[in-house]
Amino acid sequence: MSDLLRSLDPGTPSDPRSYVERAEIDASLRGPVLLFFCSGIAWLLLGSLLGTLAAFKMSFPHLLDSADWLTFGRVRPAHLNIMIYGWASSVGIGVGIWLMARLCRVALRHRGLLMGAGVVWNLGVLIGTVGILAGQSRSIEWLEFPGWATPVLFLGYALIGVWGVIMFRFRRPGHVYVSQWYLLAAFLWFPWLYATANTLLIWQPVQGSVVGAVNWWYGHNVLGLWFTPIGLASAYYMIPKVIGRPIHSYYLSILGFWSLAFFYSWNGMHHLIGGPFPAWMISASVVASIMMFIPVLTVAINHHSTMRGHFHYLKWSPTLRFTVVGAMTYTLVSLQGSLMAIPSLNNLTHFTDYTIGHAHLGLYGFFTMTMFGAMYYIVPRLVGWEWPSATMIRWHFWLATSGIAIMVASLTLGGFLQGLELNDPEVLDFLSSVRVVAPFRFIRACSGILLSAAHLVFAVLFIRMLLRHGVRQVGPALFSAPEKPGDLPAV
Amino acid sequence: MTAGLVLLLLGLLLLSGSAFAAFCWAVGDGQLEHLERAPEVIFDAAEPIGEPGDCFPDARSRAAMAKAAERP
Repeated sequence: MSDLLRSLDPGTPSDPRSYVERAEIDASLRGPVLLFFCSGIAWLLLGSLLGTLAAFKMSFPHLLDSADWLTFGRVRPAHLNIMIYGWASSVGIGVGIWLMARLCRVALRHRGLLMGAGVVWNLGVLIGTVGILAGQSRSIEWLEFPGWATPVLFLGYALIGVWGVIMFRFRRPGHVYVSQWYLLAAFLWFPWLYATANTLLIWQPVQGSVVGAVNWWYGHNVLGLWFTPIGLASAYYMIPKVIGRPIHSYYLSILGFWSLAFFYSWNGMHHLIGGPFPAWMISASVVASIMMFIPVLTVAINHHSTMRGHFHYLKWSPTLRFTVVGAMTYTLVSLQGSLMAIPSLNNLTHFTDYTIGHAHLGLYGFFTMTMFGAMYYIVPRLVGWEWPSATMIRWHFWLATSGIAIMVASLTLGGFLQGLELNDPEVLDFLSSVRVVAPFRFIRACSGILLSAAHLVFAVLFIRMLLRHGVRQVGPALFSAPEKPGDLPAV
Repeated sequence: MTAGLVLLLLGLLLLSGSAFAAFCWAVGDGQLEHLERAPEVIFDAAEPIGEPGDCFPDARSRAAMAKAAERP
């Protein structure tokens, strides 16, 4: 039997080897994955605070403006970069490491490399954030960290990328699951994007309008080729595992991955419709954006068909609830993004809060919710302890879901009305477009309080989990334990 | 067209090219064969097909989920 066919043999239920293997892999991953999760949650709390403050400053401009470092021009980019590099990237790396080791079916190699990478990465985020708050922001969206923070971040990430390649190289021979494809692609694409953007914008800076092209190429691709593959890798693993049913169509999942790989990198230029660029560049980007219907619909159909007949599990599984909300939002935000590339609609939404709502729907509604779902699955397996409070998980879910729903609805509607004002030739007063969006911005700021509360609840729950607080429960994370406890190595 | 745009276009082509190279490797390695059973690769004896893998940590959710899993 070939390695590939052998990898598809699930073994027999009485075989203790799979229990031991699973426990060994989880035990080897504990330190590095929890390092990325802990630091990610700390950055999430700080980023939420800064984001809410920046949002309220849109309604009350003089709020806390006595100190330079608390002015809008510093707080807003600090929020943005903390969320991208501190929260989303850290938790994405943690989930990616766990999934990669599980799917490669080998215990963690080079643990010190990952721990070192985690420390260096967080150091890069810290000095970058301090740099922004000190007034050293680069004014390039998604790349505001000062130039001297960039090499630190790149070094941290390079170590992680090297680890990913090593893990894949030494995986147990056999079939490469679709989540592994997504993860491997993300681990390779991100350093490529980051290095290229920094080379063209910082070390050998291009001039004029090309800055905008590079900026949007990076900004869009970091969402689509870094966060999206990690989020989808997690969804393709968590949904089947939680409901105990394989993916509906593996053919569709493969088609979805390869079409994303071929089409996505051309998407970013649709943000520059009407700008001073060669027409063919914009046209190619619009076409590629519409082609994104293929990977998005394949993922949507596949996830929905896998879940069919199992939707009642959403009542009982926190992992599934967060992941399915994230997966459904992926469909919504991706289709919205493709439609926003159509020039007639782009004319209306460009330069408005509509785009900001779209970005929040992608990074929070899709990616962050999916990551929360993954963490609810992974952490009990790492610490050998069940989540201490179902009530707190429910609070976390409903605060996060209602918060992001209100935020996106207010930004979308406000942005739409703002766009109508900006495009109305009868309206000569620019301030009228600001006035029309003002109440929506206040609602958006209030929704930030809900999200911050959700993050606080999750952080408390996570700390209780690490401290093994509460009564020990025989929970679902552990209910596949072998009949003979001696078969498991100590964790 | 400036040198920057040329470099950017090169980056785009290299990204798509890397995807194409990986696709060729996948075909050559047989990764696109036996796809009917491929989705089962994430299940094993410890976490088998048909067994739900997560629920809220309270007795009511556990009981309800276990009951649902017993359905044919």
